[in-house]
Amino acid sequence: MLRTVSKLWDSFKEYIILIILILTGLVFLSLNYTPAVKNLKAVAFGSFAAVTSLVSDAVNITKLKSENEKLRRQNAELMLQVNLLRYYGITNHELKDMLGYKDTVKYPLIPAHVVSKSLTASQSSLTLNVGISDSVKPGMPVVNGEGLIGIVHSVSENYSIVRTLKNRDLNITVKNERSRADAILKWNGEDLVLVDVPKTYDIEPGDRIITSDLSSIVAVPIGVGVVTQLSKVETGIFNEVKIKPFVDFIRVEHVFVLGIVESKQKNNLELNFYRMNR
Amino acid sequence: MRSQYFIPILIFFPLLLIQTTIMPFIQISGVVPDLILILLVFYSINNNQIYGTVLGFIFGFLFDIIAGILLGSGMISKTIAGFTAGYFSSETKRDVYLRSFSFSLIVLLCSFIDSILYSFFSASISAADISTNLILLFFEQGMLPGFYTAIISLIIVFFSPRRGLK
Repeated sequence: MLRTVSKLWDSFKEYIILIILILTGLVFLSLNYTPAVKNLKAVAFGSFAAVTSLVSDAVNITKLKSENEKLRRQNAELMLQVNLLRYYGITNHELKDMLGYKDTVKYPLIPAHVVSKSLTASQSSLTLNVGISDSVKPGMPVVNGEGLIGIVHSVSENYSIVRTLKNRDLNITVKNERSRADAILKWNGEDLVLVDVPKTYDIEPGDRIITSDLSSIVAVPIGVGVVTQLSKVETGIFNEVKIKPFVDFIRVEHVFVLGIVESKQKNNLELNFYRMNR
Repeated sequence: MRSQYFIPILIFFPLLLIQTTIMPFIQISGVVPDLILILLVFYSINNNQIYGTVLGFIFGFLFDIIAGILLGSGMISKTIAGFTAGYFSSETKRDVYLRSFSFSLIVLLCSFIDSILYSFFSASISAADISTNLILLFFEQGMLPGFYTAIISLIIVFFSPRRGLK
């Protein structure tokens, strides 16, 4: 018996080890959402991100000169835009007052810097240099001047990991800014798409897509992208709508974490995708 | 256990640092070369198939927890990539494989396997959605990263100790 086992081991040890390791990997896959694995990840990426941020800073210094030039130009353009928006804001405020609206929403912005990027076709994520000590919590939206980048997924003391929109794990309720039609936004591995959009919905190429107030993850209106193509499905009742995101996820460096997490009351009322997957 | 077995694990950390900070600057359409895989293939050929398999598992585990992504997907894909690379570790042909363009072809094969498996596991486990076109999966998530990684691996071929290309 022992000899047979020994013979088998000698003949197939490479395959036996391979199978054992694959099975171990599958076990780890099933343990992803357990607190122990989450803590292990938080400690590991937190420690490594501290080193990464040093290298990232050094690399960025070389780019500062050209970036300063670009920022100065952008600053001037923004100044003109701000003046215009200020005028619109005053007008809007007056009109809202007249209608009896109570505008109480104030969104705290936490500035952050991207210290590393994990770019894969299915699970792109960013590491930011802000964490629990900066009041960052899982579930907070991450934005820049162009629009929504993603959602904070896990945090350590000084760092956090953001799942970008180009991540299969992230589905967000969005709406068409023009027609107000709501839909689910997801990343299919190739494109950002609105899925299961009824053919009767009023959506056209060029429409701006923003986050919907129905969303249990990001309930404030933030720009997401623009409709580029409607893939008309011959059979069935749904269309698939392709979206070009406003944000260039590859070049993103400076971001803001929006210091809001959707209210518990609302979360308890809804089937919250994010909460279910945490 | 011989101490040189641990050298690739020590090299892994600075390489991961480069992978996450500098490599994004040379991305092409979101595709970045996988330096970790090149390291894995190099040491798998240099040692043996069992070593390559175990090293792939360790690299995958470290990458998954440090990058904060789905734990297990990288472990499985890198394990199988290391196992595949280990096929080319025969005593007689080791030098030929490491110091010729064959090395890049082996990297291409392993990177292709690694990318496809990684995409498959992360897609099927996280979203239970395998609606992505299989041919698209084959090219965009397998061939493109594979080719790019293989091209970068030519550096190893050119700068290997003997320099000569067989």
